[in-house]
Amino acid sequence: MSDNKSVNVRLRRVGLAFGDHAVLRNIDLDIEPGEFFAFLGPSGSGKSTLLRLIAGFGPMPTGQVFIGEENVAQLPPWRRNVGMVFQNYALWPHMTVFRNVAFGLEERRLPASEVRERTDAALEVVGLRELADRRPSQLSGGQQQRVALARTIVIEPRVLLLDEPLSNLDANLRIHMRREIRELQRRLGITTIFVTHDQDEANTIADRMAVLNDGILQQVGSPMSLYDNPANRFVANFLGTANLLDGKVERDEAQATFRAGCGLQIPLQHDAKAASHATAMFRPHHVSIADPGQESRPDIVSFEGRVRHREFLGNLFRYAIDCGGQDILVDDGHQVGRRSYEIDDAVSVTLDPVQVRILSN
Amino acid sequence: MSLTSRPHWGPTSIAVLLAVFLIVFLAVPVLKVVFVAFQDPGTGGFTLVNFQDFFNTALFRESFWNSLYVAGMSVMLASIIAVPLAYFTTRFNFGGAMLIQTLGVVPLIMPPFVGAVAMQLLFGSNGSVNLLLDEHFGFTVPFMEGLNGVILVESIHYFPFILTNLSASLANIDRSLEESAQNLGSSGMRLFRRIVFPLAMPGFVAGASLVFLKVFDDLGTPLLLNVNKMLAPQAYLRISSIGITDPMGYVISVMLVLFSMFSLWVSFLAFRGREYASVQKGGGGLLKRDLGTWEKLAAYAVIVLILALVLAPHLGLLLLSFGTVWSFAVLPDAYTLEHYLRVFHTSSQYVTNTLIYAGLAAGIDIVLGTAIAYVVWRTGIPGRKWLDYTATAALAVPGVVLGIGYLRTFYGVQLPFSEQPLATWWVILVIALAIRRLPYALRACVAALQQVSVTLEEAAENIGATKSRTVRRIVVPLMSGGILAGFVTSFATASVELSATLMLVAQQSDAPLSYGIYVFMQSAAGRGPGAALGIIAVIIVGLGTYVSHRVIERSRRLRTADRVVAEATAKLE
Amino acid sequence: MHLSTFVRRITGSLLVPLALCASWGTAHALEDKLVIVTSFPEDLTGVFQAAFERRHPTTKVEVLNKKTSAGVKYVQETAGNNTTDLFWVSAPDAFGVLKNKGLLQKYQPHSSGIPDMIGSFPINDPDRYFFGFAASGYGIMYNTRYLKAKKLPVPKEWDDLKKPVYFGHVGMSAPSRSGTTHLTVEAILQGEGWDKGWATMKEMAGNFKTITERSFGVPDGVNSGEFGLGIVIDFFGFSSKASGFPVEFVYPTITALVPANVGIVKNAPHPEAAGAFIDFLLSDEGQELLFDSKIQRLPVKPAIYAKAPPGLPNPFEDKSIGAAVKFDSDLSEGRYNLVNSLFDQLITFRAEELRTATAAVQAAESALAGKSKPEAEALLEQARTLIAAVPVTEAEANDPAFAAIFAKKRKKPTDEVPQRQAEVEQKWDGFAQSNYAKAGELAKQALNKAN
Repeated sequence: MSDNKSVNVRLRRVGLAFGDHAVLRNIDLDIEPGEFFAFLGPSGSGKSTLLRLIAGFGPMPTGQVFIGEENVAQLPPWRRNVGMVFQNYALWPHMTVFRNVAFGLEERRLPASEVRERTDAALEVVGLRELADRRPSQLSGGQQQRVALARTIVIEPRVLLLDEPLSNLDANLRIHMRREIRELQRRLGITTIFVTHDQDEANTIADRMAVLNDGILQQVGSPMSLYDNPANRFVANFLGTANLLDGKVERDEAQATFRAGCGLQIPLQHDAKAASHATAMFRPHHVSIADPGQESRPDIVSFEGRVRHREFLGNLFRYAIDCGGQDILVDDGHQVGRRSYEIDDAVSVTLDPVQVRILSN
Repeated sequence: MSLTSRPHWGPTSIAVLLAVFLIVFLAVPVLKVVFVAFQDPGTGGFTLVNFQDFFNTALFRESFWNSLYVAGMSVMLASIIAVPLAYFTTRFNFGGAMLIQTLGVVPLIMPPFVGAVAMQLLFGSNGSVNLLLDEHFGFTVPFMEGLNGVILVESIHYFPFILTNLSASLANIDRSLEESAQNLGSSGMRLFRRIVFPLAMPGFVAGASLVFLKVFDDLGTPLLLNVNKMLAPQAYLRISSIGITDPMGYVISVMLVLFSMFSLWVSFLAFRGREYASVQKGGGGLLKRDLGTWEKLAAYAVIVLILALVLAPHLGLLLLSFGTVWSFAVLPDAYTLEHYLRVFHTSSQYVTNTLIYAGLAAGIDIVLGTAIAYVVWRTGIPGRKWLDYTATAALAVPGVVLGIGYLRTFYGVQLPFSEQPLATWWVILVIALAIRRLPYALRACVAALQQVSVTLEEAAENIGATKSRTVRRIVVPLMSGGILAGFVTSFATASVELSATLMLVAQQSDAPLSYGIYVFMQSAAGRGPGAALGIIAVIIVGLGTYVSHRVIERSRRLRTADRVVAEATAKLE
Repeated sequence: MHLSTFVRRITGSLLVPLALCASWGTAHALEDKLVIVTSFPEDLTGVFQAAFERRHPTTKVEVLNKKTSAGVKYVQETAGNNTTDLFWVSAPDAFGVLKNKGLLQKYQPHSSGIPDMIGSFPINDPDRYFFGFAASGYGIMYNTRYLKAKKLPVPKEWDDLKKPVYFGHVGMSAPSRSGTTHLTVEAILQGEGWDKGWATMKEMAGNFKTITERSFGVPDGVNSGEFGLGIVIDFFGFSSKASGFPVEFVYPTITALVPANVGIVKNAPHPEAAGAFIDFLLSDEGQELLFDSKIQRLPVKPAIYAKAPPGLPNPFEDKSIGAAVKFDSDLSEGRYNLVNSLFDQLITFRAEELRTATAAVQAAESALAGKSKPEAEALLEQARTLIAAVPVTEAEANDPAFAAIFAKKRKKPTDEVPQRQAEVEQKWDGFAQSNYAKAGELAKQALNKAN
């Protein structure tokens, strides 16, 4: 099955509306052949709609959808040869596992012997050969998931689409299936698009991902690059916890400086452009906390404040430190015997400006 | 008072009352009739010789096969009518879907024998259609000859059973089940045949078996079309004729009941199957798509054709009610309002009686239906399932059999404070109607109850409400959509019931509409007024149904539990 | 729920003169209610009910409409706890059944000017258990538009209906469903004799398009043009014509003019009112109501005919109507169920087979017309004989012991019935089937030989 030639998927100025309500706006996206790509976004962001659009479901979109060299935007779903695994698996209750998997091959009018052979092979791949005669209702959630996968890959689709395939599984099984799906995809080398609202899932499984919000593509990139260099406040917030300070960027010949509204000043190392409105972003674990009265270093930003909140998260304490009217979140790794601070304790906070990113508004 | 030791005297006493009611008004009368079939006509002892006679008689064997054939073909024809209507209205976006669903139910609210009269005028061998065909093309089509006529009239009358059940089933199919098939390369008729229809199968089978059963038992239509070689007319003829103590009529009744039970059983299996079909809920309803211009035209053409056929009896009846003389002609000779005037002046009691009887019967039905549903699904009383089975078995009892059973059982019983026997009291007629329609209301109530989570009840009890108050203030209000749906079906179908009515009406002042129409139709000058009365019946029942649907719609919008109604209306067979 | 009020309103104008002298009718107080079981249509009962209530305003009439056979059954089943006052239907033999079972009560009506006989039939029961109030004869009703369109001749006699030209154009009701049809059948059997009567009926029945399940099914079919001709009781024809339908009615020579009757049920709860109703039916005004356009029945009081509407014959003057048959109602009554069952087994349930055989015979006949082929003629004659054959002789049919199989009501466990009805009927059915099949076969052979 892996002799499938991988294809790329390209979206050009794709838009979609339900009546007057625009669900997707002007999306341009390139997915490379053989890539494991994730659509990430909150519910209502349009990520599932975008996936269904590639499969051919839903209202007719504007723009172009290329699978390989073919523009499929006007094709009905049954002509596209893209495989989709539905969130609820959508196994047909009136058919056995075998018949479910064989369905797509039968629809292609293949000879019975070939249908049998390839169905068996696909069930073998997902390890369900011995359950071939069961009904879907007699299977566990994980087994149903595998049947849904087998049913899709057996037709050797050009692209594999997975619509939140793990959301109906419990936590342990989810991690297990996640690895299994990734493993399977590597073996088949098939271009795969995976929809999820869970950033951890996207981070662990995807080669690259696209973050969507409000029907607009926010940013595309590898999980790490998006985490480290979010393009905007939304991406910064959606991918992990972020401190976001409003202020402005000033610069003289030698140095650029971010002046936050709360009074904090952060020297910027790179050549940031001056801006009257800008946002500085840094992650809570980039900030250190210590007893007050520490000696300050010139290359490190430091300030003093009081603890306003604290949360114990097991591996760390997350403090909210009041800094001139704005809360700054600080993650302090936890170890047995390590000092922790109480609410209203005065503390000193330090931040390496290297970690700070300036987001354009 | 701990939860485990809570005494169950309340529900138990209700269960006992329900059981007594069903035994007295259903089991005993039917057994009284059935009993004769096992009696030796010579000695009066127990025997099976009558059944031997039944199978030895060529006439009965032919009647039996004819009944099977007519019932089977009616299911086929009804499916041909109902499946496209259900498919188009639930799968595509186009105007008038609501109208079609409503019009599609209209045939049910017309007494079938009235439909037969109208159909004879339109499609008979010298009816309008054949006269036109003969004049312009020189041939005629035997639409109404012999068994054809029965099949045509029955399918047109009963296809809504399939339409409503199938539509509900289609509406319950998870969208993703269909999309996944499309994704794997399936489309069009193949998709319908392999995925959509099998998934809707439980609804279809439920509807189809009801059609089968109703047609198998129906007396009025073959009687009006002069078809006698079928089981129900054979039974009726033998039971109602002078002096005949021949047990064969009763043997045929037993055969009717047995076969109806069989098709009920098939339907039960289908209803059980339905649960697995809706296990995977989540993808959100049905995939509706827009039609292209040509597709739209074709769809409209098919629908208009079907609706024209389906509403033909109403059209025929309407013409008859306004026509002066309609004899060997495409249309009546002239038109008049006279028939309506005559009906308004002489027959208002039929309308009043019908509203009272059908209203009371439907009222009894929903009270019994709710009580039985609650006892069966929410208590642990031993044998409770039998209440459900017994009440549902009423479906399998032909109206004639129940009518005769009532006469036999209640004639000897004197009504207190009057010299009247119980059997001639109009209340007995109401009870007979209620028993006949109880299965419909029961299914609607059960569906409604199953949608009300037990935790809602527990929450009420937890904060101190007693069982009876919980039922009254929480359960029943939440079930109200389904209960109302049950009321509508019981009311509408009870209004047009004839077979039991014909046996039990003891005086004209107590007679309902269907009886009045029947009596009118027995004279040359009465055909017009009878038709006018028929139209009035259709309008009254139609209005009642429409208003109730509106109320249901509103309550559906008010409540989040909209599936309650959808399910109940679905099971509104 | 007050039907009477409304009926009174519309028929009231007709009856104003009567209302003025209403006082003499109510000289003695009647009960406040009267319950009538009848097979007559609303068109007839409504008129009499309204007129009677106008005359006796304190008495409310309850009408219970049932088919004759169902009515008899009803009176029988409810005898233990009777609520019915009057039994009011056409068929005298239905009254015979009730009389023999002791379910009727004697009465002496206050009336005058009614002769003993109409045609050859006694108007009243000699034992005064039931009384004729209107006469009816049986005949042929036909749709004029239909005959014209299909170019069919107008029939005059029963024998005309045997002609091939009427194949598939005739309708009749089954005697087991319709008391009036039963009388027609008996009239033919008595008029032509048992064997010839059955032969006539079967030859006619070979032309039947349909055998209706209700007696009104026949006039209904003729009125709507579903079939062209029907064998019906006269008032169905007259009232259909009076209602504007393009139909006519003729009396064949062999017909029985038989009174429609009324009688008081044993233990009637309202005997005074019941008597008053009978008196009213037989009074001049009651008799005159029979001329109503929707009723159109022949009064039993000759003097009333002076006011008859045009087109209605007067049997007291026109002696040809109903004179040919001397109707023996005891005979009819004795074999009532037997004749019904025999008709059903030979004709109703095997109508299709009979039609097929008849068509074959008619085809052979027309092929043979004008040719001399004695061999074929002989085959055809055999076929006709087979069709006409009856599995029961007249003597058997009239034997009370044999008839008992069809009527025996087992009262005590010790009562014995010699044979089960089902067994006898199986035999008859087999007889009919094989005869018709053989006849068809022979007719085909005759046809082959003719060509």
